[in-house]
Amino acid sequence: MEHPGRKAFVSAIVFLGALVILVPFYMILVNSFKGIRESALFGMGLPSTWNFDNYKEVFDKGNIMRGFKNSFLISGLVVVCVTLFASMAAFVIQRRDDRFMRSTYLLFIMGLIVPVSIVPTIRLMGELHIRGTYFSLIMYYTAVLLPFAVFLLVGFMKQIPRELDEAALLEGCGYFRLYWRIILPLLVTVLITVTIVVMVSVWNDFFGPFYLMTDSTKWTIVLQIFNFVSLYNTNWGIVFAFMVIVISPDPARVLAAAALHYRRFDGGLGQGLTNTGGKNDGWTSARRIDERGWRHAQGSRGRRREMDTARTHSAYPMGTLRSYAGGRSGGRPGRLRACA
Amino acid sequence: MERRKYPLYFSFPALFVFLLFFIAPTLIGVYYSFTDWNVNADSISFIGFDNYKALFGEPRLGKALSNTLIFAAAVTLLQNAVGLGLALLMNEAIRMRNLFRTIFFMPYVIAPIVIGYVFRAIYHPEHGIVNEALGWIGLGALGQDWLNDPKWALFSIIATDIWRVAGFAMVVYLAGLQFIPKDLTESASIDGASYWRRFRHIVFPLLAASFTVNVLLSVIGSMKVFEMVMVLTDGGPGYTTEVFYTYIRSTFSMGQMGYSTAINLVLFVLVTVVGVPVLAALKKREVEM
Repeated sequence: MEHPGRKAFVSAIVFLGALVILVPFYMILVNSFKGIRESALFGMGLPSTWNFDNYKEVFDKGNIMRGFKNSFLISGLVVVCVTLFASMAAFVIQRRDDRFMRSTYLLFIMGLIVPVSIVPTIRLMGELHIRGTYFSLIMYYTAVLLPFAVFLLVGFMKQIPRELDEAALLEGCGYFRLYWRIILPLLVTVLITVTIVVMVSVWNDFFGPFYLMTDSTKWTIVLQIFNFVSLYNTNWGIVFAFMVIVISPDPARVLAAAALHYRRFDGGLGQGLTNTGGKNDGWTSARRIDERGWRHAQGSRGRRREMDTARTHSAYPMGTLRSYAGGRSGGRPGRLRACA
Repeated sequence: MERRKYPLYFSFPALFVFLLFFIAPTLIGVYYSFTDWNVNADSISFIGFDNYKALFGEPRLGKALSNTLIFAAAVTLLQNAVGLGLALLMNEAIRMRNLFRTIFFMPYVIAPIVIGYVFRAIYHPEHGIVNEALGWIGLGALGQDWLNDPKWALFSIIATDIWRVAGFAMVVYLAGLQFIPKDLTESASIDGASYWRRFRHIVFPLLAASFTVNVLLSVIGSMKVFEMVMVLTDGGPGYTTEVFYTYIRSTFSMGQMGYSTAINLVLFVLVTVVGVPVLAALKKREVEM
């Protein structure tokens, strides 16, 4: 059945692939400790003398802390705007589903495809007297990233049963409360996906600040690299040191994302992206969770029930779960704690 | 429950920001592309199709067009091939699987501009790793000046972008693979289906959703490539690696705003022509499901 050499072969390929990814990282790390001559050779060997001055120089001249602060501020605020605006919009777009909402959705979808007209954007910011401000960049990013978030969230909204809304409204919930206490918590998985994607794309973006930020004190870290490399391009050691500092938070971010998702890796980044289809039958997501729990339970036979409950609990907040269970067994949904 | 009662105003913040900061500049851009707007002029005047006439008279636009399309096609194809391959490998029972998944995903979270600078060192003709590695395995003769040789420059940029984005496609495919019931492939395997046949007839069809998402994202994303090209070659040597956004940038920095807006509009049309059918395919599949 299984060929004995197969496993070794697979491991070898995986190992080689990982090497292709890791070698460039190793190269910048090791060369960031070398002097100007030695680092220009991009050698793989350890430095002949360990040179820490590169890092000192970067910290003295690179405006690193300011760059990090700006990147953090801007990406954080964009995350807040995008997740809030997009989830509110997705909620009514999917639920109303009338002609106006359909055309709104279509407009957002078009925004997913078409490129930004950057030069007119600069002019617009000037006309609004916000050119070069944090606010202008945050609004630019929000506008650019909203289509993606709306697209994802509308796809996911279809899986949240309307019966939940009905129960909540019967209990006397207002629409805002319904959105805030019931819909939003159910969207958390996708919102995490949105947050990660938005965070990463804003943090790493060069295009936006390159055109929109003229004031160097407001440059993000990515623009600081660009500026720094144009000034120091003759000394690779210093440039590499700058890069090491700049990408050092990235592994942390990958690990944070991974930690959030490995418990349900399939419920992670990828699922959020692929879950755009699906019938509007209401119970799809519940069934999905069951299937997932079941698959995990297969590993340890006979513990299916426990796994099931554990999984469902981790994906859905307590209050809503009650009514969920009620709805599934066919009876009238139980009292919604979130609405009480 | 009456659908109409869901309050319309919930969509207003998103709509407002999107209309003002995305749609409005696009529409204003259509107007400006018909003007002689530039840094030196005191006033902007309407010049009809002059920008477009000049633009289509330049061979540079043709280069930008073909390079953007070649880049998009190659990246879409290879990103999906490599990403799917990685996902299948990562779906096997190998040790430290999560570690490897993380490693493969890592380049995706790093700023493209940093990757561009790193690969400028990697492609260095004398000391870069690529040529050195070719030397170690006795293929030193195959070494190239990767970024300055017109024959290889675009290829090198494509390879760099694949290095960056393959891990992302992998994650999406992995998610799709989780939804394929094990019993399906197992029973096929008991019936004697080879790995390839199982992949071709069971796994791949069931990955359709992941496939469409990946294709859509990479087609759209790769047509908007900018800083990777700017850092690696800045469109050179000559215009051999010119893409739309480097073209826009260079005309913009020369102060020809109206002209660069016209180029932006050509890109707009191109992306729409390519992107909408892909999106329509995605929507169609959504309905079928």
